[in-house]
Amino acid sequence: MVLPPNISEADFNAAVNEFRAAVGPSWVFTSDEDVALYRDSYSIYWGEPEERVASAAVAPAKVEEVQQVVRTANKYHIPLYPISTGRNLTYGGSAPTMRGSVVVDLKRMNRILEVDEKRAFALVEPGVSYFDLYHYIRERSLKLMLDVPDPGWGSPVGNSLDHGAGYLTAHFRDHFGSHCGMEVVTPEGDLVRTGMGALPNSETWQEFRYGAGPYIDGIFTQSNFGIVTKMGFWLMPMPESYLTGTITVPRYQDFEPLIEEVSYFEDLSLIGMPQYGSPIGGGFFGPPSPDLAALMQNGWPSMGALENYVAAQKRPAWSVELNFYGPEETVRANWQAAKRRFAKAIPGAAFQDGELLAPPIPKEKETTQGDKPRLGIPALEVFTITSRNPMTNSDPADGHADFFAYVPRKASAVWAAARVMYEAYREMGMPPMHGPFSTPINYYSRCFIMATLVPTYRNAAKNARSRELFAKVMDRCAEHGFGCYRTSPAFQDRLMSKYSFNNNALLRFHQKLKDSIDPNGIISPGRYGIWPAKMRGNRA
Amino acid sequence: MVNRRSVLKIGAATVAGVLVKMPVSGRNLSPAKTHIAFHRAIFDERFAECRGFAAELHSAGVFTSAIRGDVAGLWYDDLRVHLREDRLPVAGLTDRAALFCLEELARDVDMRVVFRVDHTIELDGLAKHVAAAEASSVSATRRLPKEPHFGRAMAERFSRLDPRELRDAAAQKLTGPFAPEDKTMLVSWVIA
Repeated sequence: MVLPPNISEADFNAAVNEFRAAVGPSWVFTSDEDVALYRDSYSIYWGEPEERVASAAVAPAKVEEVQQVVRTANKYHIPLYPISTGRNLTYGGSAPTMRGSVVVDLKRMNRILEVDEKRAFALVEPGVSYFDLYHYIRERSLKLMLDVPDPGWGSPVGNSLDHGAGYLTAHFRDHFGSHCGMEVVTPEGDLVRTGMGALPNSETWQEFRYGAGPYIDGIFTQSNFGIVTKMGFWLMPMPESYLTGTITVPRYQDFEPLIEEVSYFEDLSLIGMPQYGSPIGGGFFGPPSPDLAALMQNGWPSMGALENYVAAQKRPAWSVELNFYGPEETVRANWQAAKRRFAKAIPGAAFQDGELLAPPIPKEKETTQGDKPRLGIPALEVFTITSRNPMTNSDPADGHADFFAYVPRKASAVWAAARVMYEAYREMGMPPMHGPFSTPINYYSRCFIMATLVPTYRNAAKNARSRELFAKVMDRCAEHGFGCYRTSPAFQDRLMSKYSFNNNALLRFHQKLKDSIDPNGIISPGRYGIWPAKMRGNRA
Repeated sequence: MVNRRSVLKIGAATVAGVLVKMPVSGRNLSPAKTHIAFHRAIFDERFAECRGFAAELHSAGVFTSAIRGDVAGLWYDDLRVHLREDRLPVAGLTDRAALFCLEELARDVDMRVVFRVDHTIELDGLAKHVAAAEASSVSATRRLPKEPHFGRAMAERFSRLDPRELRDAAAQKLTGPFAPEDKTMLVSWVIA
């Protein structure tokens, strides 16, 4: 058994007994095989002393039990690590930030408290998954569309608190941005409702997020200032129609005006998440084509060489798929408007009409429906689709640690970030994931993500190399101002050290909050670099 | 898939003395006889080995459910509902990704992988078998055929298992979901 640091076995056992009294003996897990269920399946420290493993887990079913668990933890100074569904793989999954923490598994707090169809919001507990909320909406034929991440087995609460995102229009696919109101058990066991939830008898908790006074919801994201036990979300009215259209552009340098035009529609909230691609650049997974490998033989090609390469390929350089949601008349009109604007801005732009669908997709057709998340349908297909690919051939990884760098929404920045990542891999002597035709992800509408997936293994030597690669990519990107927005516990201290303006003033502010709100440092010590004073040592 | 309302409770006495719930659905094969050990056998109908596994267990009286890679429908519409009420063991022969997802999901009902044999089917169509299980199973695995009928052989072995006695920590979270594109990697498993 792993014990929390600096906690005696006697105190730990006493705390566990009080947890049992609070939640019932069958909901406290201490055996090795039970605790092993909470290991991070994608851990980059698998089997090593630094692997973040729990000492125990406790699963409260209601708010009062969470409060009691927190009070007990304060009494014995037991570190807690709350999870909702605990399936945020690549970012730690169900494992704690600090080895020896007790996982507070909120899976039993799985009530959908309210879904208001006309006012288009939901209020849920943390153990509710996207599948649960989707089924609730479908079973009642509510005319609401849920914005889901992919895979959809996570929880709206956990996903939004970790700044997860989906696929619909901008203000829904930013999952924290679409939340409205939360309830939090503080580290000292108090209960706080934010926004209009603080006003007794208010009916606008899920409609007006600010209430009065300072807006504090953001401090509960990627942090350790409390345990969120309820959260409200704005939902998208079920659109009458869903229409896709694909645009291709011929030249390498057409990427810049392509992005500018897409951003016009994005910023007017006329489209869902655009899907950029390159018909000649290869996919995200897999080695470059022989032609492209030859072009890259002497390093990153010049713009002229890239234009010549594109011309020789006789295929478009770039593509983007747009998704329109709304009444049939407006989605068709918006697609027509897009064609007009792109044709004017980019000579040679070509257009392909997609299928017009009428959501919701009938239940019997869901299984075969492609691109489910863009239609608000949660899925786990991503595992089936990506588990076998050319990159897994010789040496399949067991998981991956994702590095998602945020870069400005412009072509030159995409190319710069791709080159930084490419060169980091080359320095490590590893096949790069990026090249001149890499395309960005647009989860958050106002900036791009350039994603790198570093493999993780059940093998310490391989993981050591992956850690070195991950750190190099993070360091190189930070030098260029490309910041990663979330990472696994293994790299959270390193990540936060990059946000270093004015002698790490942001982290120092976080630490002051921590010392004030959680004086015993019991909630998720170390999460995103926020260590309690007693554990800070020379980390600060 | 089946849902809660389509579950027919039957009072078939079993050796273990527990009730077995019979799911009724077009994709679920009705058993020829009632089996004692498993609530369900899951198989990926895309693979002949898995179909053989299911047919064998079906004839031994185990209820079977088909998937095609994605386990979401099976879990959220069906299996989770039953396992929350009775955590009876579930057997399967699927690809790695399906097992990976089910293993992660099974934590919600406090169940885990307790037995696992990995089958790597090489380009010549012959399989290599590696058990992550107790010594006797490792030994038995060595005698599994290399040809595609190993699925049936594995099922036959499962039909003799008492899953309540399986508790092999080495089988837990043994791999991730990934597998080579140029080989087929299947896994026989028990979640209990």
